[in-house]
Amino acid sequence: MSGTASRDDTFPKLMIRNAATRGDLPAVRHKDFGIWQTWTWREVDEIVRCYAWGLRELGLSRGDTIAIVGSNRPKLYWSILAAQCLGAIPVPVYADAVADEMVYVLEHAQVKLAAVEDQEQVDKILSISDRLTGLTHVLYDEPRGLRDYDHSRLHAIDEVIEGARKAFASDPAAKAAIDASIAEGAGSDISIILYTSGTTGRSKGVMLSAERSIAAATDTVRFDRLDEKDEVLAYLPLAWVGDHYLNFAQGLVAGFCMACPESAETVQQDLREIGPTFYFAPPRVYESLLTRVMIRMEDAGALKRRMFHYFIDVAKRYGEDILNGRPVPLSGRLLYALGELLVYGPLKNVLGFSRIRVGYTAGEAIGPELFSFYRSLGLNLKQLYGQTEAFLYVTAQPDGQIRADTVGPVAPNAQVRIAESGEVLFRTPGMFLGYFRDPERTAETLTEDGWVKTGDAGFFEQGSGHLKIIDRAKDVGKMASGALFPPKYVENKLKFFPNVKEAVAFGDGRDFVTCFVNIDMTAVGNWAERNNVSYASYQELAGNPQVYEMIASHVAEVNRSLAGEPMMGGAQIKRFLILHKELDADDGELTRTQKVRRGFIAERYAPLIDALYDGSTEADISTEVTFEDGRKGVISARVKIADCTIFPVTADTGPTEKAA
Amino acid sequence: MRAPGDGHGIMAGDVLLAVDGVSLSFGGVKAITDVSFDIRKGEIRAIIGPNGAGKTSMLNVINGFYHPQKGRITFKGEMRRRMRPYEAASQGIARTFQNVALFKGMSTIDNIMAGRTLKMHENFFWQCLRHGPAMREEVEHRRFVEEIIDFLEIQAIRKTPVGKLPYGLQKRVELGRALAMEPELLLLDEPMAGMNLEEKEDMSRFIVDVNNQYGTTIALIEHDIGVVMDLSDRVVVLEYGRKIADGSPAEVSSDQAVIDAYLGVPH
Repeated sequence: MSGTASRDDTFPKLMIRNAATRGDLPAVRHKDFGIWQTWTWREVDEIVRCYAWGLRELGLSRGDTIAIVGSNRPKLYWSILAAQCLGAIPVPVYADAVADEMVYVLEHAQVKLAAVEDQEQVDKILSISDRLTGLTHVLYDEPRGLRDYDHSRLHAIDEVIEGARKAFASDPAAKAAIDASIAEGAGSDISIILYTSGTTGRSKGVMLSAERSIAAATDTVRFDRLDEKDEVLAYLPLAWVGDHYLNFAQGLVAGFCMACPESAETVQQDLREIGPTFYFAPPRVYESLLTRVMIRMEDAGALKRRMFHYFIDVAKRYGEDILNGRPVPLSGRLLYALGELLVYGPLKNVLGFSRIRVGYTAGEAIGPELFSFYRSLGLNLKQLYGQTEAFLYVTAQPDGQIRADTVGPVAPNAQVRIAESGEVLFRTPGMFLGYFRDPERTAETLTEDGWVKTGDAGFFEQGSGHLKIIDRAKDVGKMASGALFPPKYVENKLKFFPNVKEAVAFGDGRDFVTCFVNIDMTAVGNWAERNNVSYASYQELAGNPQVYEMIASHVAEVNRSLAGEPMMGGAQIKRFLILHKELDADDGELTRTQKVRRGFIAERYAPLIDALYDGSTEADISTEVTFEDGRKGVISARVKIADCTIFPVTADTGPTEKAA
Repeated sequence: MRAPGDGHGIMAGDVLLAVDGVSLSFGGVKAITDVSFDIRKGEIRAIIGPNGAGKTSMLNVINGFYHPQKGRITFKGEMRRRMRPYEAASQGIARTFQNVALFKGMSTIDNIMAGRTLKMHENFFWQCLRHGPAMREEVEHRRFVEEIIDFLEIQAIRKTPVGKLPYGLQKRVELGRALAMEPELLLLDEPMAGMNLEEKEDMSRFIVDVNNQYGTTIALIEHDIGVVMDLSDRVVVLEYGRKIADGSPAEVSSDQAVIDAYLGVPH
């Protein structure tokens, strides 16, 4: 990569640079009618300019906003670029948002046009169009089902581009006008507005400037040595900062090719066909892949199964060391090479991971075993910590410094500070300009000296300089003794055990920490089968003394690890119980995204919490449950309470500060 | 997808197929007795009735599998008393079956490709070699099949053997195979039997889309009255092999004979 020249300070300018320097290389792929269609940078350049003219004809001008709604389709990415050519601001919106949620974002962003994927999205937009005061035209990619719609305000993107092509052919001034418009674009322009998903209150429109976006992407492209030979599969939501950064921004900066999947259901197959070299997935994707592999191996023949387990063991012993460049005995290397030939290679091929040079995960904590599994196969999986407001990277793990329990040292050119309260603050090259039309909340998020508050509590590990994220700052409590109580941190440690499906920790303002546990039916059921433990229901298995012993040993393990960590020693779990029912979103105990609703659970199971703290060994509880068909019933049970081993605290230091 | 041929100048709204005084019996069992109705081009025509009313027999008569003892069938203006299934197929009548009849061991693609057989014309020799003209032909047909796959949103199961698919998807593949024939008249025998609500909604949408987008005339048998009332333009009701009502969904659902047939009559 030759680095970004100062004049290439907007994405359309980068597109032109790519068309000039690597015009014949693939820029975008999309699988359509079963065949991967490819567009080179030169073709993309031509299409986007035409498209920009078409948008101009529809009345889009500098400073206007255009909504982008749909899945990862080339034409929607081109909509973003075409709008940027005009100095207009694209506003991607989550495609699965219901109409009412969409009204808020689109009206708040005052969109003038909307470029959407298909009939479903067109219907959604039309159904709310009377509440969208600024909206004039809607463009769509997929014409299916739209033939009989009133086309006075509705246009096919294809036709818009085709129309512009004719205009360009007959009128050279048209082309010049677009060229001038691109040249007029400045790095300080707002490049895009990304709305946050709004899990905490109303969504906020994060304004990102072109030059800052490009600066951030340039840093990470260099950090991970990405170049035009790389390839990614763009399957993450278009409106999410991760997709915009990792695929769109990095793609334009490095000049690599972005492939769009055929449909949401075919991502796994598309991944295999494309074989990306750079990959991002949240931990649960890696987890479900591993589960699928394990289940399929259970069904394989005896020989294959033994070979698989033998070589996975070999990988566990040597794989990570080989990847990290640490010394490994020659016999180990030879065995690993054989394993690569017989197991790891074919397995990575099936998963579509054969060519991955750099893989990232982020968003939530990843289990150390899961993390090690992929790394031991030779997959360079790393962690990063980022935010929309930072334009993604705040910290990232460089090759050779990869760990499951940290999010890595501060990213290139970024700065991180831990506030008095333990909250993580940052300043990054891609830092946002503010929230769109919301100076109040912009002010709330920024400190007086211009640092961004993340809302996450964390600390720097001494020695390594790696950042560890504990929890959302507002969730971190204090125990009666004054010790820190980070519920999610404790729960995650427990959830890393396959036998534990869900955990809910209590301790804010209390003398000690207690915990509810949900066992994982698949894992514990499997264990029960192998150990001749018979059971008829979740409730019966949950109450089994042997299961209690097993979970107690997991809790002891968690306590041991907490005792060895700074500030965490006080949060060891003293007593726990295994809940008689699985926590369920239908009963309001989990959110629809499967996150624990701590407050609600505390209220609902108050008698159990009282029992945890008053020293009794059993408690009675009856709870109302909602069945799948909507009927309600009552489950009552007597739940046992177990005590756990507490370890002496070995490390306890105050908060640390670090700025890189 | 290309629009199907206009069939001898028959315009939308004209009678595409007419059944006139058809009677069918198996030995002493009278399956259909003197039934007459017509199917107009471009409409969705439902055939409903209690179990054993002769609905499936009627479809079998239309596509030439059964030969009625009495009566006439006129398709695209041509009257014929005996129509063999393959003749029916080559004239543009395709169907799906009450219990899915797919090649279970073959992939989705191959099953739908099978629907193109009648459209393939290269000789056996070239087909065996799978080169030259045969390959060109296959590519052309594969393109058409891919359009159907796109239309029915079954990209993810393109290469899955259909025997491994859930029932709802098998039904969709079967519809795909029927569509591959570019039919003028599509006969659907209980397309939604055994489906859950979501699958029914999907299937309803596909039926409406096929009808809208390609102008395909559809005759369907269905037990879910809600679906029938929503989808169809006209409904014919059979009971014990006789026609007891014929008309718009609203007319039929308020017809006393129909209500009696479904709910029973007090004795």
